[in-house]
Amino acid sequence: MLAVSFDWSFVSDNWRELLAGLGRTLEVSAIAIAGAFLIGLILGAARAHRIPVVSQLAAVYVEVIRNTPILVQIFFLYFGLPELGIRLDGFTVAWLAVMIWGGAFNTENFRAGFEAVQFRYREAGEALGFGPFATFLNVTLPIGGRIALPPSINTYISVIKNTSLLYVISYQELTTTALNINALTLQTLETFTVLAVSYLTIVWTLSALIRLLEARLALPKEAR
Amino acid sequence: MNLPDWVEPTVRYMAEEGLKGTLRIAAAALVGSAVIGILLGTVLTIDFRPTRWLIRLYIEVWRGLPILVTIFIIYFALPSVSSRLRFDPFTAASIGLILWGSAQVAEATRGAVQSIPREQHEASAALGFGWVGRHAYVILPQALRRLLPPLVGLLVNILQNTTIAQVIGATELLGTGQRSVERLTAPPPIGTGEIHAFEIYAGVMVVFFSISFPLTRLAAYLERRLI
Repeated sequence: MLAVSFDWSFVSDNWRELLAGLGRTLEVSAIAIAGAFLIGLILGAARAHRIPVVSQLAAVYVEVIRNTPILVQIFFLYFGLPELGIRLDGFTVAWLAVMIWGGAFNTENFRAGFEAVQFRYREAGEALGFGPFATFLNVTLPIGGRIALPPSINTYISVIKNTSLLYVISYQELTTTALNINALTLQTLETFTVLAVSYLTIVWTLSALIRLLEARLALPKEAR
Repeated sequence: MNLPDWVEPTVRYMAEEGLKGTLRIAAAALVGSAVIGILLGTVLTIDFRPTRWLIRLYIEVWRGLPILVTIFIIYFALPSVSSRLRFDPFTAASIGLILWGSAQVAEATRGAVQSIPREQHEASAALGFGWVGRHAYVILPQALRRLLPPLVGLLVNILQNTTIAQVIGATELLGTGQRSVERLTAPPPIGTGEIHAFEIYAGVMVVFFSISFPLTRLAAYLERRLI
């Protein structure tokens, strides 16, 4: 038998700090997810409709972010940019880094969603007298957006998980807070149990939401 | 082109120590993830609730936790449970990546195995193969073909996630980059007294990009060819 016992006073002693850390994790995630949504929507549409220059620039952005580690991106923003005189504080780097990362993956989600909309629907929109923008708004977005929604929530889940990497810039989100408490109390088992349960609760809730949405938002057969 | 004096020794250190460490962790993580993941994914297709639930739990836990938290648990929390569970940074990071990677592979394997038509199972059963023989000789060789694109994609993700090992002090590319930045910032004779963080971290990004980009292209190509 392993001599392991869980000391519940850990939670009652440290819940304020932990809750504040969780709050900052959720705050940074919320900003990043909102930004990643807009980036994905706009650049995904530009990619799907092959809008010159914007589409190519978006492709470069997506490939650079997807093919380099986000941890190096965080180091680059926080430790690399000051050499050029661009000094960003911890909070800015925190939401910016995960937003840039999420935006790149979301661009691909939305591009794939919009490209999955059958051409005959867009033709039908044009036949009804819609201009290109109105066709996008009334035809491509409602259908393609529905296709893109579940994978984009997957990206948002990854965004939330990636905020833990902000530990390296000592931004006081959940992981950094928990490790600081661990360094003071040495209650390692309690610290990591609370930390793991917190992340799994958030991630599993959102995963359940995806399954729910997939069932609710599934396109009727004739629209596929 | 004349490079400043600090470049050559820094690049050599980061290539010989850092890149080597990155590739070692990635190789260990890829092999471990593939072996454990294919095994778990195949067993997951058996219609037996207890094993299915256990493997599901394994997948959901290690996919759900941030890899950094998993690695912290292995590196900091396990030794407090038992002193025999004390690992060096290289091993701890590799185990963390294997837990996460094998969960991804298990999910992909389940799909690949289930995509093999029923007739293949029935035909091999008719030839006298038991469950193990059927899967080892007939089903998995066909499923592996479909697994190849996700495995290449996994390699890209593993390569990028090896940088997380930097946080617990393993020697890999990002860690050697960070140490180089710190050493170069020190006043002479140790360093140069100048900050070279921008060049070094940009360099690390270029190295990762030149390894990852061809691999993501390969994964996309395989996906078109094999499915």
